[in-house]
Order: sequence, then C-alpha cells, then structure tokens
Amino acid sequence: MDTNLVIEGFKFMVLGMGTVFAFLIILIGLMNVMSMVIHKLFPEPQASGESHTQQGSKNNKVIAAITAAISHHRQG
Amino acid sequence: MKSVVFKFLTLLVFLTSATLFASADVEHASVANAEKAYEVKPFSEMFGGFLESTGINALINPDPNELNSHDEPMSDFHKSWGRIIMILITFLLFWLAIRKGFEPLLLLPIAFGGLLANIPIAGIAGHDGFLGIIYEMGLANQLFPILIFMGVGAMTDFGPLLSNPKTALLGGAAQFGIFGTLVGAVALSEYTTIFDFSLQQASAISIIGGADGPTSIFIATALAPELLGAIAVASYSYMAMVPIIQPPIMKALTNDAERKIKMTTLRHVSRLEKLVFPIMVLVLAILVLPESTPLIGAFMFGNFLKESGVVDRLSDTMQNALINIVTIFLGLAVGSKLAADQFLVADTLAILALGIVAFSVGTASGVIMAKIMNLFPGNKINPLIGSAGVSAVPMAARVSNKVGMQYDKSNMLLMHAMGPNVAGVIGSAVAAGVLISLFQ
Repeated sequence: MDTNLVIEGFKFMVLGMGTVFAFLIILIGLMNVMSMVIHKLFPEPQASGESHTQQGSKNNKVIAAITAAISHHRQG
Repeated sequence: MKSVVFKFLTLLVFLTSATLFASADVEHASVANAEKAYEVKPFSEMFGGFLESTGINALINPDPNELNSHDEPMSDFHKSWGRIIMILITFLLFWLAIRKGFEPLLLLPIAFGGLLANIPIAGIAGHDGFLGIIYEMGLANQLFPILIFMGVGAMTDFGPLLSNPKTALLGGAAQFGIFGTLVGAVALSEYTTIFDFSLQQASAISIIGGADGPTSIFIATALAPELLGAIAVASYSYMAMVPIIQPPIMKALTNDAERKIKMTTLRHVSRLEKLVFPIMVLVLAILVLPESTPLIGAFMFGNFLKESGVVDRLSDTMQNALINIVTIFLGLAVGSKLAADQFLVADTLAILALGIVAFSVGTASGVIMAKIMNLFPGNKINPLIGSAGVSAVPMAARVSNKVGMQYDKSNMLLMHAMGPNVAGVIGSAVAAGVLISLFQ
C-alpha cells in the first residue's frame, strides 16, 4: 500500500477533534441559551414559593376547620 | 382424529424411509447419523479412549484438527501452553479484581469468561458453546454496550455540567487522547515491521483513550472484532487504574497555586433544564453526527426517563437490574475473546502499551485545556478537574477531588469535576461516531 497511514491518521485527528469541539461548543451555546430562556419564561424559585404559600393557606384553612369542628364537638 | 392418525402414519413412513436410505447409502449415513450406534469394545480400549478425551491429554497432545472459534486452524502453542498461560492470566485478573478491587464488577465476569474460553475440547467459546452464543447474541451486533449506555444515562446527573457549561470543553480536550494515540498506532505500523495495524484497528485501539468501556467495546466490535478481547481488557483495567495513573500526570502539569484555585459555587439547576438537556443533545447529535446517535440516543433515553420523574420504576430498573444483567453477559462475552489464539499475540502487548499512552495523553490534554481556559477572563477553573474529562465516571471526578483535597482540605472539587466528566462521556461518544462515519 502506498498511502502514508500516518498522514491519514493526522487527517482523522483534525477531523475528529474538530467535530468533538464543534459539537461541544455548540452544546455550550445551546445550554446557555436554554437556561436563559427557561429562567425568563419559567422562573422556578418564584413558582415554588407561590405553591408553598398556596399550600400554606390551604393547610391553615384545614387546621381552622378542624379546630372549629373540635370546639363544636366539645361544646355540643 | 383422522388427521392425527394420518400425520402419525406419514411420520412413520418418513422415518422408515430415512433409515432405509441411511443404511443403503454411506454418504447419507454420515449426514443422518445423529444417533451413533454403540460399539462393543474391550475395557482397555474404552479406558484408552477415555484417557484421550481428558483435558490433560488435550493440553499435552493438542488435537491437530481442532479449530478456533472462527473455524480457523490454530498453532500447537495456542492449543497447549498458550491455554495454560491464559488460564494463569485469568487467575491474575481474579486476584486484581478481588484483592485489589480493580473494577471487579466487570473484570470478574471477563476473567471467568476467559477461563471458560480456554478449556480444550469443550469449545465453550465456539459457535455452539454458551459463551459463543452470548457473544453472538449481544456483542457481535453491539447490543450490550448500548444497553449499558442506557443504564449509565439513567445514573448520570447533568446538573453540574448545566450550571457551568464551559467545563464541557475539558471533556472535549480529553478526547485528544483518542486521536493522538490513533496517530501513534499507525506510526507504529508504518515505521516498524513487528506491528501491522490497519487504520480500522488503530482507531479501535485508540478509543481506549476515551476511558469509556462500553464505547471501546462498541467501536472494537464495529471496526476490529479480532482485537476485542485485548481492547476490552486494556480499557477496563486502565479505568480501574485511574487513581494510580492520573495523579502523577495532574501534579506534574500544575503548580501549587493552580491546585488551590477555589471555584465559584455551582448555581441551582431547575428540573426543566435537566429535562430539556437530553433532548437538546440528541437533536444536536441527529443534526451533526447521526453515526453517534446509537450511543448518545441510548444514553439520553436513560437520562430522560430519570429526569422525567414519572417513570421511577423504569429508571430504577435501568440503573440496577438491567445494567447488572447486561454486565454479566457483556463480561462473559468479552471473556470469550480471551482465548489463547486471539490474546497471546504480539498485538496485545502493543494494545496494552498504546492504551496507557492514550489514557495519559487524554488526562494531560484535559489539564492543559483547563490552563488555557484560565488565560481568558472569567471565573477561573482549577486545572485538576481537567483530568476528569476522560469519561471514567465517576472515578476520574473522584480523583480530581482527592488530589485537590491533598493541597487544600476545604477545596471540594467533586461536583465541579462531574461537569467535565459527563461531558467526556458525550465527547467520546461523538469521537466514536466520527470514527465509525469515517469508515462508512
């Protein structure tokens, strides 16, 4: 075989490392864009806070209802 | 009822005619003699025949007609001393796995498979042997590495990578180990007369530098199945030796101040980000390099199920039951390639040597990449996490953490190192895709 394998190997290297880096660099860009978009459109901490307060108020209502029921039962 | 009787009669007629033909025609007899007639022999002959069928005899006086698992003739050395040497090597692997704790989950099944594959006469690794059947079932068609990748995906947390995306570059740089070694391997075969690796074989060997067992096996079965045993053993033993191989390289390339760099704490990553990430990677792989999608697709499938949070049963099965079952089969199937005629060749030594070079180059390029990135403005990176760019998850990240702690007890690098570590898995899958696409 006349082809110089070492030169072929270098071609592989350039193409391979190029693809790996291109892939990861695009991925880094996409990750940054994605986290920006998600933080803008679906801000998590606020959402979780809301649900907490909702749950809290729900719990409070339940507790109020139970205490009312108990006191009613004791009175009656 | 009638039809049953009819069928029975036809069968009877068929059988009788078959026997008649067999007795009449010698050629047919050799085809149809599934049941051998028992010959009456004197006891001495029986005893002699039994002695001839023992393993001792088979090892001392190898059967000249015995073929290897590829139906090719073997040399007498590979049938006698070669097998004994290989069995001793599997004992050494047992010792490494049990006593030294070198990746016992895989090394033990591989070593035991190797032991079984070197038994004379029984032909366990041949087409009809159970190891051969397992090999055909899942390794020859690359199924097992893909299933393992699913399980690994279900175990992976991309959180650290998402909170510090630029560390993905470290996982890319470490793939230089693969391509650097590829050049080394072809140079060896070009400028020496001992080794003669084709480009396919060189690529399969160099993927050891990705430090990713399933990927190595995937590539080896695709490009150079004859080297599979040596490549898998090299790959898994070097992965087990990460804590020994990496620290000296990491220390040699960094100075004291760099090793003490403290990295900024990782931000919180929302569940939605983790859920979108696997799909995003897969779409990118589809667009850029479809050849890599078997590996990346399986990996992201596992990860997506885990992050979805609604199929805990499936993700739990992938992380435990499925990956354990496949690991047993994968280990045995790889072990079947440890037969003496395939492992005891000069190429194996070259593979072991090139493998460790690939691994070291990968580690070094990760560290150097981190130092280069520190030349640019922005948050500094501790170069010790660069070595985690080789994708031995999570061992390489643990090594980064351990070395960091040696210089500053309060410097926890583990989570920072997980970023390049999982990026390394993606990077080596992409590298594997490139190599496969180049030979299409």
